[in-house]
Amino acid sequence: MQRTANSKQTPTGRPQAQPTTNTQQTRAPPQMIQNMARVTDPKHVPKEIRDQFLKKIHFCSQPYDFNDDTKNVKEKQERSQYLQELFDLLKEPNFVANLVVPHLDLIIEMIEKNIFRPLPILKKTATNGEIGMEDDDQLIDPAWTHLQPVYEYFLQLIVNEQPDVKSLKIFITHSFIQEFLELFDSEEPREREYLKNILHRLYAKLVPRRKMIRKAINDCFYTLIHETYKFNGAAELLDILASIISGFAVPLREEHVIFFKTVIIPLHKVQTCQFYHEQLLRCSMLFLSKDPTLATFLVEGLLRYWPFANSAKEVMFLNELLEVLEVCEISKLEPLIPKLFKRLIKCIAGPHLQVADRAMCFFENDYFLTILKSYKPFTFPLLVPVIAQIADTHWHKVLQESLNALKTILKEIDYQAFDKALNNKDPKYLYIIQDAKNQKKDRQKIEEKWKNLTKQALQKNPNFKEPIVPYSDTHIVGEHNGLNNGNITII
Amino acid sequence: MSENPFEVLKEDMENEEVYLKVNAMHRVKVVATLLGSDKIKSQLIPYFETLLKKEDDEVLFALAEELGNIAQIIPNQSSCLLTLLEQLAGFDETVVREQAVRSITIVCGFLADNEIANTIVPMIIRLASNDSNFTCRVSAVSLMCPLYARAGNQKEKIRQKFTELCSEETPMVRRAVATKIGEIAQFMDKIHVIQDLIPVLKQLCQDEQDQVRLLCMESLMNIAKILNSGENKTNILPLIIQSAEDKSWRVRLALSKIFADLAEAVGKEIADSSLIQIFSNLLKDTECDVRVIAVKSLARFIKFVSPEKLNLIVPLLQLLSKDPFSQVKQNACEVIGQIATLLPKEYSQSKLQQYLIDLMADDNQDVRRNAAKSAGQFAAAIGPEALNQFVPFLKKCMDDPKWRVRKETMQTIIQLALTVKNPDVFNKQLESVFVMFLKDRAAEVRSMGLSQLPALIATYKQEWAVGNFLSKCVETLSKDVGSLYRINALYAIQQISFAVDGPVAQDRLWPIVQKCLKDTVPNIRFVSIRVAKSLSKKIDNQQTLNQIKQAINELIEDPDRDVKFYAQEALQN
Repeated sequence: MQRTANSKQTPTGRPQAQPTTNTQQTRAPPQMIQNMARVTDPKHVPKEIRDQFLKKIHFCSQPYDFNDDTKNVKEKQERSQYLQELFDLLKEPNFVANLVVPHLDLIIEMIEKNIFRPLPILKKTATNGEIGMEDDDQLIDPAWTHLQPVYEYFLQLIVNEQPDVKSLKIFITHSFIQEFLELFDSEEPREREYLKNILHRLYAKLVPRRKMIRKAINDCFYTLIHETYKFNGAAELLDILASIISGFAVPLREEHVIFFKTVIIPLHKVQTCQFYHEQLLRCSMLFLSKDPTLATFLVEGLLRYWPFANSAKEVMFLNELLEVLEVCEISKLEPLIPKLFKRLIKCIAGPHLQVADRAMCFFENDYFLTILKSYKPFTFPLLVPVIAQIADTHWHKVLQESLNALKTILKEIDYQAFDKALNNKDPKYLYIIQDAKNQKKDRQKIEEKWKNLTKQALQKNPNFKEPIVPYSDTHIVGEHNGLNNGNITII
Repeated sequence: MSENPFEVLKEDMENEEVYLKVNAMHRVKVVATLLGSDKIKSQLIPYFETLLKKEDDEVLFALAEELGNIAQIIPNQSSCLLTLLEQLAGFDETVVREQAVRSITIVCGFLADNEIANTIVPMIIRLASNDSNFTCRVSAVSLMCPLYARAGNQKEKIRQKFTELCSEETPMVRRAVATKIGEIAQFMDKIHVIQDLIPVLKQLCQDEQDQVRLLCMESLMNIAKILNSGENKTNILPLIIQSAEDKSWRVRLALSKIFADLAEAVGKEIADSSLIQIFSNLLKDTECDVRVIAVKSLARFIKFVSPEKLNLIVPLLQLLSKDPFSQVKQNACEVIGQIATLLPKEYSQSKLQQYLIDLMADDNQDVRRNAAKSAGQFAAAIGPEALNQFVPFLKKCMDDPKWRVRKETMQTIIQLALTVKNPDVFNKQLESVFVMFLKDRAAEVRSMGLSQLPALIATYKQEWAVGNFLSKCVETLSKDVGSLYRINALYAIQQISFAVDGPVAQDRLWPIVQKCLKDTVPNIRFVSIRVAKSLSKKIDNQQTLNQIKQAINELIEDPDRDVKFYAQEALQN
């Protein structure tokens, strides 16, 4: 009796399927569990119960059009109830051992038939959409309510201890994993959450399949980096990776280091990086905690893939950069110092306030100041003149104050070097704060040289065609985006 | 004065800004021209080697492109660029790789056939066998296509490697192969296509990734083009059937997209016997996006099947014109118009006309617009006799709340009038719809009618212009329906004036314009001045001319500045 009560209360709080009416002959007795309870010897499940069980699994494997609620209403209702019953069975160890495990092949097939489907494009307005209508509603896959129980069932099946590694392993093949990973591109966040949990558990449970799963995830990311540039499940996959990475043994195997260099670092350059940056950062930091020598590669990668005309992404990069720098060994940073400080000074002198502000935060970090001090002969001549000048002229009051504070800090570090750097203005770095006019003048000299050379080339070869230079003058952003905006100048 | 070009390049490459470095890189051909081949080898290439490690992808992209340009400067020795290009072809960044492949192809254009066989083929095999870097293998696939034809006795090696790559585990490589298999087939002997490529194409068409299967579709079409009817039947047709039933709608969509071309490629016989049935299923697909694209292809597809087979498609149009998804209906309109030109008149009239009429009254404005557009084609196809059934519906479309629909309808009417060229039909059926442009609320519709007026006058002559049509203009002018309508009518009169004789202009048109010169609205007054001006060019009668002049003269003192201006202008010339 207790069991009956149990079966009515679903753990997910879903409404129980409608009680059946006697008129429906095909309907099996609803409480399969009750029947099972009467079985004295669990080793020998009576044929009729087994048949019922198989019939239900078969029923749930049938495809229906879940996008149209008006079709097959009765069957869909029946299906939900069967799924619920199958789900309840998982709670009874006896039945799992004697019904579920022996028929794992059919069960996995049922799951595959349900979830492996071409992903739909969720449409905002299905019919009669007039142009210009905005619709901010969350997109919902109409099939989701019918898919969710299958996912829930799959999850519980994996969580359950009885189906052991050996019996599960044969179903989790390469193509299974590949199809499973493709589902991560789903636009339905709840689906991705289930996928994540299931894959995570599969990875934990199926030790012999781990390498294969990792490789398939790799391919997924390669596609994202090299071909599609967009993948909805990137954040979820990185979540799984984070826990995989934390399980890596130290020292890291070469395979994992390659993964760090060919996947984790290039993932930063993808246009849609914002959507998974938080998870990516976590993975990066986990890697660095296993092997701090990787930090310099990451710094190099960040500087290489620095965002262009995307200030929000720049702020993210700055956050990550500072965190990564703290892991770096100072002596290893040497080859990167010029690029690093030039980047920072560009951010500080740049037109975007938040970016500049975020870059200024670096100087509140003690470890960063140690780096700065260690490479004084380079950093001072670069920083001091620029900081000194924009400290006087910056348009934003708060930033001007912090620039002045920074000036004082630099002075305190080494008064002499500060003065020397201030007086000995190396024009090479000053271009950052030069106005457009002066920049143009400098440019003109070398442009003149090119012009002469082109003339000579023409003399030498009358068929010579003048080179087409893609970026003219200072309007790089405007030209680049096809909006020739006179207000944009390069800093 | 004379600079060392190599030093200038290096100096410019020292720049901090990436875009300046990219610029500098694009000027490399200046340097290369001046240095000559020896120094290119001894200075420039070693310098480029150093760049590979440290430069940004943008610069390397430019480098990859310029290496192709340098090859044109030193065509005989361009093989020295290959080491660099091979490295770039294995780079991580996709655009750099692709550009490197393009430049390698340029270099190969300058090489002799034995060099291709001895240096390039080994390079391709090397790239294709690079197990640690899938990027190399992808580049190798792209290189195989343009170079296969010149590989001489090494062809077999390439074929073997290509088919080997089809069974790759890395999906990126399989995708590359699926894209290129149709292309490489163009360069192969038919026997090799059938023996080597078809088996792997079959395999790719069953790939576990729908992306791979999807990319196969285009290749399928390209291969179909080079096979004859019998070969297509045994090799390609099964693949088409299989893809049409693919579980991924993306694959079915890709197939629908190329279906017309596919029909053209396999020829009428197969199209008639098999493709119509397959295509019918795609048109009934459960996924609406597939239907949208399928209907779009249908408009072209019908040209590649025998006319007598078209009646298999007509019943589908009934379904499509009632589709719940408006874009399907939108595209169906076009098909109905097209197919009517291919079917017997009575048949289209009895089967299709009603669908089109229903679509003209659809809820969706784009459907109505397309229906109105196709109505012209349809009506022209079934002939003028049947127009009277159609015109009431077109008239209804002119009352549509959306101006785009009305504009399309207006255009249809005009097109019809111009193709029919039958004054009887025009006067009875079309004219009443056409003149509705005079009273339309949207300027777009009014100017649409106005712009086509000269062509109509040329077709239906002065009798119509100064008869029925003029009276409509007068009606508009006399009713106080807002100045914009009156201006439009005035311009219409101007158009008439261009086509008529002097006496007609004087007797029929001038009195109307004369009245308008005294209108209360300034804009109408100055438009009237313009019209009067064009009238005066037609009229010979001195007395009337004086009248016109005097009337304009009176407006010189008009309180409105613009009227004054135009009056002065008119009198000056």
